[in-house]
Amino acid sequence: MSDKNLSHIEKVKQTSDGLRGTIRESLLDEITGAIREDDQALIKFHGMYQQDDRDRREERAEKKLDRLYTFMIRLRLPGGFLLPEQWIAMHEIAGENSTGVIKITTRQTIQLHGIFKSKIKPTISAFNAAKLDSIATCGDVNRNVLCSPNPRQSTLHQQVFAYADKISNLLKPKTSAWYEIWLDEEKIAEKLEDDPLYQDRYMPRKFKIAIAIPPNNDVDVFGNDIGLIAIIENDVLKGFNIAIGGGLSTTHGNTETYARLGTIIGFTDTEEKTLKAVYEILTVQRDHGNRSDRKLARLKYTVDNLGVDRYKEEVETRAGFKLEEARNYKFTTRTDYYGWEQSNDGNWQYTVFVENGRVLDDEKVALKSALLEVAKTGKANFRFTANQNVIISDVSAGDKEVINQVLLNFNIIEHTGSASPIRKNAMACVALPTCPLALAEAQRYMPSLLSKIEPLLEKNGLQHEDIIVRMTGCPNGCARSYIAEIGFVGTGPGKYNLHLGGDYEGERLNKIYKESLEEAAILTELDGLFANYKNERREREKFGDYIMRKELV
Amino acid sequence: MLAENKLKVFGDFIKTLTNDELIWVNGYLNGIVAKAVPETTLPAVKQAANKITITYGTETGNSKKIATDFAARAKKNGIQVKLISLDQYRLNDLPKEEYFFTIVSTHGDGEPPAAAKKFYDHIYNNGFKFDKLKYSVLALGDTSYPLFCKTGEDIDDQLNKLGGNRIAPLRKCDLEFDEEANDWFDKVLLSLNSNNGAQVKESPVITSSPAKKITTKKTYTGSVLANVNLNDIGSNKQTYHIELAVDELEYEPGDSIGIVPENPLATVEAILAFTGLDKNKEIEYRDEWFTVFDLLKKRVNIIYLAPSVVKKYAALVSQTIPEAKIDLLDLIKIYPVKNSAQYEEVFALLNPIAPRLYTIASAPEAHNGEVHITVEKDEFHINDIERFGLCSAYLGELNTDSEIKFFVQKNKRFRLPADDEDIIMIGPGTGIAAFRSFLSERDSKGAAGKNWLFFGEQQFATDFLYQTEIQNWVDTGVLTNVNVAFSHDQQEKLYVHHKMLQRGQEFYNWLQNGAYLYVCGQKDPMSVWVENTLLEIIQKFGSKTAFEAKQYFDKLKDDGRYSKDVY
Ligand code: SRM
Ligand SMILES: Cc1cc2nc3c(=O)[nH]c(=O)nc-3n(C[C@H](O)[C@H](O)[C@H](O)COP(=O)(O)OP(=O)(O)OC[C@H]3O[C@@H](n4cnc5c(N)ncnc54)[C@H](O)[C@@H]3O)c2cc1C
Ligand SMILES: Cc1cc2nc3c(=O)[nH]c(=O)nc-3n(C[C@H](O)[C@H](O)[C@H](O)COP(=O)(O)O)c2cc1C
Ligand code: SF4
Repeated sequence: MSDKNLSHIEKVKQTSDGLRGTIRESLLDEITGAIREDDQALIKFHGMYQQDDRDRREERAEKKLDRLYTFMIRLRLPGGFLLPEQWIAMHEIAGENSTGVIKITTRQTIQLHGIFKSKIKPTISAFNAAKLDSIATCGDVNRNVLCSPNPRQSTLHQQVFAYADKISNLLKPKTSAWYEIWLDEEKIAEKLEDDPLYQDRYMPRKFKIAIAIPPNNDVDVFGNDIGLIAIIENDVLKGFNIAIGGGLSTTHGNTETYARLGTIIGFTDTEEKTLKAVYEILTVQRDHGNRSDRKLARLKYTVDNLGVDRYKEEVETRAGFKLEEARNYKFTTRTDYYGWEQSNDGNWQYTVFVENGRVLDDEKVALKSALLEVAKTGKANFRFTANQNVIISDVSAGDKEVINQVLLNFNIIEHTGSASPIRKNAMACVALPTCPLALAEAQRYMPSLLSKIEPLLEKNGLQHEDIIVRMTGCPNGCARSYIAEIGFVGTGPGKYNLHLGGDYEGERLNKIYKESLEEAAILTELDGLFANYKNERREREKFGDYIMRKELV
Repeated sequence: MLAENKLKVFGDFIKTLTNDELIWVNGYLNGIVAKAVPETTLPAVKQAANKITITYGTETGNSKKIATDFAARAKKNGIQVKLISLDQYRLNDLPKEEYFFTIVSTHGDGEPPAAAKKFYDHIYNNGFKFDKLKYSVLALGDTSYPLFCKTGEDIDDQLNKLGGNRIAPLRKCDLEFDEEANDWFDKVLLSLNSNNGAQVKESPVITSSPAKKITTKKTYTGSVLANVNLNDIGSNKQTYHIELAVDELEYEPGDSIGIVPENPLATVEAILAFTGLDKNKEIEYRDEWFTVFDLLKKRVNIIYLAPSVVKKYAALVSQTIPEAKIDLLDLIKIYPVKNSAQYEEVFALLNPIAPRLYTIASAPEAHNGEVHITVEKDEFHINDIERFGLCSAYLGELNTDSEIKFFVQKNKRFRLPADDEDIIMIGPGTGIAAFRSFLSERDSKGAAGKNWLFFGEQQFATDFLYQTEIQNWVDTGVLTNVNVAFSHDQQEKLYVHHKMLQRGQEFYNWLQNGAYLYVCGQKDPMSVWVENTLLEIIQKFGSKTAFEAKQYFDKLKDDGRYSKDVY
């Protein structure tokens, strides 16, 4: 592609000297809490976003103060696994340098918000001390790799889970810029830095991979650029079905953009082949992806431009082997297994309900303190789910009572147990005040909206139904609102497009039912729909399926 | 000084005069005053003086400037002069002095400049007697302060009590002191040269003629355009950016404005309630009539009364009261008056509310028809109860469109240099005000000189006063360098002087290239730290001895390349 229509970011990447840019200089600039424009694109590769408190913009302008710039840091946690001592470290870092809220994301990792420029380095070195990093959790690279977190999922969970790490390391950028800039480590010789995968251009766009273990599709495997579906036959891991081209984001008013679910292109049996196939899927996207229009740069568009078959062939030639026929699998759910569950190895896990992934102590429950106590026992690990919850995991039968007592003391059992099914199946993205792209509220608003929807369900005797509701503050779909039975997509302050008809398992996209509704309208619409659903539904028919059968969208 | 009606007549008459006529009248009046001195009481001074001591007590440098000029003039007249600042003066020498002259200003509310404190206390507390001391005092002051030239008065009076011979009357000068001062010194020289140095027994006082007062002390009325607290949520401070609309306002960057605050309504009402006085009763105070309410609200100082006032009160109610500062309400509660009729006498002995100065933060070139100030709400605790400064709290509460009166306090010693000169500005906290004025002025004039700003506060996120304006000046190249220090943002405290040292080499280079240096804001400890660091930089990066550094620094001052506006 000729240089002149390369997008600006492409040039920034190529001239960034291994993602270093002028970040160092930016950090030294005393009179602003921000960093230079181009560096803002680069620090994403280091796992950070420059943001500002949008609630404070107007007033600060009056006070002749610059925007309240802070940084959000996102950790790299393949499969969302954390040791107790790491949780403790994170708890402390969050308290010192960030807003204090620990945010569990829809991709099984953790974000800290509100970190001042001057506090980035201390924060990162504290992370490093706890053997944690934020490398490549943002930017045009492979992002945090998802994997069904619950050990109870399968005897082979550990074996499948290991792939998350392997893939994450395989696709990690080679530059040592992160260590130099944030930890002041010596620059190692250029030579070591050649990056055969990313070269100096990196990917045309972010790249996402998830691994699902049927029958639970909790990771929304089809929403990812690459989805791996573990094929387990009588307790043996046979290999993986590979789906490509998943991606959810759209842009209001840009008809060329669309949400797309991954297409299964085949199956690989050995670890070597699986990793090789994954690797080459990236190289094809690297070489064929659109580098002039970032709105059309995700793999899903490349796949549709080349055609699925062409893309598959290209991968096969580069990999040097053919993909096998996809195997059978069945997804039956996407929800987390709340409460205590035992896995085949005899250990126990407790899945805690964390509304919108926000871990903090509030008037309702002291979740943050509770989890700290749990961590301090040293008797449990932490696993984050793609539904923004946390699993207190790997608790030996002997230790279960100790943990259970902590959970009781902090009222966590009550908190998790009493949450309504619809709330437990709900997700909302961050949105305001930190997200610069937000058009409407999401995680700050969703809880109160649900409180108004719950009575409607009860009124229609549907309060026990698992209905998947998701809200995002803009059409980027960070809480995967396009694969929800009820999806809210922000269009402006207090206004949401109402999407309906997604399925319960995450294998069908929803469609716009009505545009830019305000709360009152949303509630009347849902009230009517619930009533009809109640009367017209078939035996055990899910809400999303009902909507499609009635062709309401 | 003059009663309202006399003043008016005189003022109107003055207005009809040309400058030359004014000067003539001035001289004429002085003549009359001098003649008021009974000749007979003049014993002859033995021989003409050939050796004199000129001392000065200065806070902001005026007295020193004058004293230096006079020393030079005296030398021309073949008189040996010892010129020395009062804080350098060996107090034991005093009794040995023969011809002793002092030029001293008044600060605080009626207090000696820090540099004169030792001397002041010395002459009050040590019971020595002069036999041969001949002296005269030139008092610098400002008629807008209730205790005009108090320090000069006290010294003149006390030296006299100690047996000193006043050979020229005490002269009190308002801010426009040049002519007055020269005239005083003419008289001094005269009495020295004439073999019988005239001795003045009484102590007639010559004050700058009201004519000057009228021309120098114009009161303006400004209406509040904006009043914004510049600090954001989470700050320990409240700093108000106040914009006033005023027509035909004359000032220059570096000047301040003086504002007389009103007393808090609650306090006034508490006093009214306690005294049971009728708030609408008209009473006279210093030749003006007020309702009791207006007097207490707008005219007299009822908070933190000066010891001198407390003393007078004690005498009035004939009780013994420790000579400490105290609020009027507490005073009348704890030490009640004999009968409520006495309250009017009490009011009479109160001082007027003293004006507070605020460095102007705007620039004539940039903010036509407006004047801006930057006011930090002054907060302090009295036995753990939070209290706020009178004027800063009063200003902070002004709503838009409300009107306040103020005067312009010229500051000749704090002026921008020629447009093409480089300047370094050190202005943490509200010290930024002067430099917002400087930078606005230079920006709108397109001045070619380079500008370097040092700013400091507590927290970057909440206390960076005028941050966006400063950023714009950086972007447009008006500011060449900016360094900021936020003391609370890291473990170890960080202040502007640390930043100066960090940039020491470049700082010194700027000085070497002729840069002008300005310090504005907190006097203590900020300006002290800054000066020490300055010496350190000169020494270290100019590879000089401590002594040479001091010389270099003094030279900066003498060349007018080091100016302070600190408080
Ligand atoms: C934290 C998180 C939402 C949450 O509440 O959990 C999130 C938050 C943000 N997403 Fe997202 N995205 C998050 C999962 C997703 C997902 C869901 C997923 O991956 O399963 C999607 C849809 C799937 C997809 O990628 O197609 C998603 C699609 C986007 C997009 C649209 C990408 C595109 O293809 O156009 C953007 C905007 C962009 O990249 O230009 C975006 C951008 C953002 C940013 C960084 C806004 C920005 O670019 O400045 C948001 C930061 C807000 C904040 O203040 O924290 N985020 N984002 C999720 C973090 C995941 C992680 O740990 O890495
Ligand atoms: C040349 C010059 C320029 C200045 N420029 C600025 C400027 O730009 N911005 C700015 O904010 N300030 C400036 N100042 C300071 C300003 O003039 C005032 O001194 C300041 O605002 C405090 O005045 P206030 O009336 O609020 O406090 P005051 O009421 O005068 O109190 C001042 C102090 O007196 C003591 N005090 C007062 N009442 C009591 C009591 N009842 N009991 C015990 N102690 C008490 C406290 O220590 C208090 O801090 C400047 C001063 C000068 C001389
Ligand atoms: C904070 C402050 C307080 C002052 N208080 C008085 C006062 O009480 N009475 C007075 O006559 N002049 C007062 N003045 C005016 C000064 O005496 C006047 O500016 C004089 O010229 C300063 O001379 P110097 O530079 O030698 O100190 C005050 C000035 C300042 C800045
Ligand atoms: S969906 Fe939109 S608003 Fe929500 S976090 Fe993502 S980018 Fe922000």
